[in-house]
Amino acid sequence: MKKKFKMTRTLRRQLFGLLFLLPFIIGFVMFFLIPITRTFFYSFNIISVGEKGGMEFTPNGIQNYIDLFTKEVTSESKTLANLFADQNMLLLTSVPIIVIFSLFMALLANRQFKGRAIVRTIFFLPIVLGLTVVISMLKMTTGSQITETGNGLFSESAISVFLFQYSGIPRNILVQVMGVIDNIFELISQAGIQTLIYLTALQSISPSLYEVAKIEGATAYETFWKVTIPSIVHIILFVVIYTIVQMFLESQIAEEVYSFAFEQSKIGVGSALSVVYIFNVLIVLLLVLLILRKVVKKYE
Amino acid sequence: MNENSYRVKMTVKNVFIRIFLFLLIAGLCFTILYPILSLVPTVFSAIEDIGNPNVIWLPEKFSTLSFTAAIRLVMPNGLMTIGKTVLYAAGMMVLQVFFSAMVGYSMARVKSVFSKIAYFLVIFVFLTPRQSLLLAQYINFKHFDVLGIMNLFTQAGEVDLINKPIALVMLAVFCFGVNQSLFIFLFAQFFKNIPKELEEAANIDGCGFVGTYFRIMLPNAIPIISTVAILSFVWNYGDTYFTNYFSPNAGFMSTLLSTTFVSANKNFILNALQNWYGIPTLNDFAFDAVKQAGVLIYLIPLIIVYLIGQRKLVQNMENSGLVG
Repeated sequence: MKKKFKMTRTLRRQLFGLLFLLPFIIGFVMFFLIPITRTFFYSFNIISVGEKGGMEFTPNGIQNYIDLFTKEVTSESKTLANLFADQNMLLLTSVPIIVIFSLFMALLANRQFKGRAIVRTIFFLPIVLGLTVVISMLKMTTGSQITETGNGLFSESAISVFLFQYSGIPRNILVQVMGVIDNIFELISQAGIQTLIYLTALQSISPSLYEVAKIEGATAYETFWKVTIPSIVHIILFVVIYTIVQMFLESQIAEEVYSFAFEQSKIGVGSALSVVYIFNVLIVLLLVLLILRKVVKKYE
Repeated sequence: MNENSYRVKMTVKNVFIRIFLFLLIAGLCFTILYPILSLVPTVFSAIEDIGNPNVIWLPEKFSTLSFTAAIRLVMPNGLMTIGKTVLYAAGMMVLQVFFSAMVGYSMARVKSVFSKIAYFLVIFVFLTPRQSLLLAQYINFKHFDVLGIMNLFTQAGEVDLINKPIALVMLAVFCFGVNQSLFIFLFAQFFKNIPKELEEAANIDGCGFVGTYFRIMLPNAIPIISTVAILSFVWNYGDTYFTNYFSPNAGFMSTLLSTTFVSANKNFILNALQNWYGIPTLNDFAFDAVKQAGVLIYLIPLIIVYLIGQRKLVQNMENSGLVG
């Protein structure tokens, strides 16, 4: 009797659990599973408007994919192979910078000083100011001495002239560094959420660990590598993945999909581009996870 | 003597570190605020004056014409447009929080195959860029039909949901709104860390599954609810993806801004400004001034919500279970 009661209770719980999951399951089928299978299906077909309206499909093999990389160009007449190469290069350079930079901001915001509340308010402001609409609207269309996002401010300044002429640092490296500094606003504008995540992680590290480190006579540098980093290494992994996903969300590829499908009415080619795009994201994430897993293990 | 010099050395070092950090923090704050601060002279100048190289920080003649022009250009219903967008974002926020919390709770607390699969799927959805599905989703909404039930209601057997508010509502209800997979994940991580005893006590006291959820779990989840609510509001208000593609005529601020101020419209806008306000000549800077006045108006509700919410954001995220 008692056992039966227990059975029904867990069963009831499971049923209610399923009920609570229902919105997601319906959504997953309707807005993910069906669209993704259709995307695959479209990418192997030529889609045209049928005689009675509606869509007509002509199987086309992998011709769409071949066209995509041999014939088609983007709206800025780059080849698609170039577009993907650029996107992945951008990822390779920006993600490490954003991940490290936001950690740096979080470390600063975590210190005890007067006016910390105000500084934090400003540091997280990119969550609001980094929205794509705002960024694109803040850009100057005219281009003049009033450069908007701070672009070009540093590379034109006296410091950089000095560095170029007297520091003896190779010019190639310096140009790269200048590029990063010039785009610092764009960098910061993408680091809002990351800084927030890091800061909360930093605050959850037990203060006693730092006390021990201090008693043992560790320098600030040692404390950072031996206490701080191992405590937040999982969060760093999360931030890396989040940043990659975010960068792909803002990538130009999305606009190209739209332009193929609705401006040139090549739905098949647009879908093929989408499929390549999905695989690109997943492969990059898989690679990053495989590499970082090892690093994380070492720190544990 | 020796000790004394050591002490002096340390204080000097400390002072230097302090000055260095102060400069660093001040510099970073300035960099973040710079784009907004640098708007001030442009948008408050008289439109004819803009582009005057003498003006760097203080406008020569103070004027709010840019704002009036921006309101007239972008907002068909005047300031009501802002109200409408705020209402939209708030509505989406409520839906997203309600349904994400439910799914997250079930994923974290009910031990079943379904919740494990759902966990995996949520992460998978989060990792897949939503734009890659844009095409199929658009066609899906354009010819909307679920298992043929639309045959009962319409002749064609499908409905066109593009530009209908129901499309956006459906996305939020069925957990595919702006960044909703992330929200579900945050909720699930939070509920995972709530002690089991709380639930058991409620059960013993005769609270059912639904009762426990609404009476015990939700009130305990206030920190994560407010975090998700703030993020959801900000992201829905600033969203141009869902609104532009699925509801382009709804007239939300983000859509209006991003479609009005494209460079193709520049001459049209400059002509309009000349006609409306009887200004003989205008240079391209006027276009930027009006555009940026528009952004400033757009930012006001966001900044207000942000200022109210951000203090809580840090302390709430700490309890969110993401950490640790």
